[in-house]
Amino acid sequence: MRPTDRKYSKSHEWVKLDGETALVGITDFAVQALSNGNESDLVHCDLPESGRLLAAGESFGEIESVKAVSDLYAPIAGEVLEINSGIEDHLEIVSRDPWGQGWILRLKPERKSLDGLMDAAEYEKYLATLAH
Amino acid sequence: METWRLITTWGAQPSFNLGLDEALLESSDAPVTVRFYSWKPATLSLGYFQKFAEVPAALDARSVVRRFTGGGAIHHDRELTFSIAAPLAHPLYRDSLPDSYARVHAGVARALLTLGIEAKLRGESKLASDREGTGMCFHKSSPLDLVWDERKGVGSAQRRTRERVLHHGSIKLGTTALEGDIATAERVAPRLSPEAFAPALRAAFEAEFGVRLEAGVPDALERGRMKELAPRFLDPAFLRRR
Repeated sequence: MRPTDRKYSKSHEWVKLDGETALVGITDFAVQALSNGNESDLVHCDLPESGRLLAAGESFGEIESVKAVSDLYAPIAGEVLEINSGIEDHLEIVSRDPWGQGWILRLKPERKSLDGLMDAAEYEKYLATLAH
Repeated sequence: METWRLITTWGAQPSFNLGLDEALLESSDAPVTVRFYSWKPATLSLGYFQKFAEVPAALDARSVVRRFTGGGAIHHDRELTFSIAAPLAHPLYRDSLPDSYARVHAGVARALLTLGIEAKLRGESKLASDREGTGMCFHKSSPLDLVWDERKGVGSAQRRTRERVLHHGSIKLGTTALEGDIATAERVAPRLSPEAFAPALRAAFEAEFGVRLEAGVPDALERGRMKELAPRFLDPAFLRRR
């Protein structure tokens, strides 16, 4: 079971409220989907500047794995307060710990509600629909 | 049987080639679209995240652009370039990244077999074409790459959005001065042109993917979007963004 203290988007990002702010990252499914089984498969990322205002669903950055560049999407609207500078040159942290140390953005949410996103159980069901 | 669109454009400019591919990646209502194409002039393309300074060949090539797909630099000369744009949920692309590469490469390998080339996924072995410090796609191999003659012969990369995937591939028919000792079709099919190889690739894709490829063109929306996107690939600031 994935962490129940956060909500999930269909494009495989998670968001977790943390006081007045919200942390955003990508799920283990996203990491697996982009990788070839090695921690070192995520190689580059482009992340937004602090202060940028993101709409829900807007692309906020890009991540390169060993064989693909993929867009990253904001699960909620908000202002970028901080990016996790520790991961920019060490994306293996995202591979190893996508739920904790591998967080990507800290946002000031436009709204405190995470309505419209999936909880962990709903996300699991959604993932099952992607399998065949 | 599913019908895919096939757009063929030989000898097109780099900004057209990349602009059209990006427009097809965005074209969410489009059928699965395969492109076969070549470049005029011969052009070196850098991967989206590559640092310009880490590709020494960029100083030697007459025409240089930056792609929107990842990976290393490719000299688009003596090759058939293809792309396949399809929904992320399409059977070609669903499941993991390695699964999607294996499916596309099965189609390419089938076409190469008609030339007598037995291309295989690299797996864990090292290659005679692997070389440090050039930033060139064909000098860096991964387990997913198609190889023959112990060298890499097909360069590939993907761009993924939440809706669609575009897979780029470069099938080497001959080598170039910037790429050197790599696997090509030259040994079994000297001076084979992309135009002459295209029917075999088309038939192999149709057989491997169980589809019919129907010749088509970009629609008005895609052409319009291509014209909007193409200038970025001529912009020196984009080329030298890293």
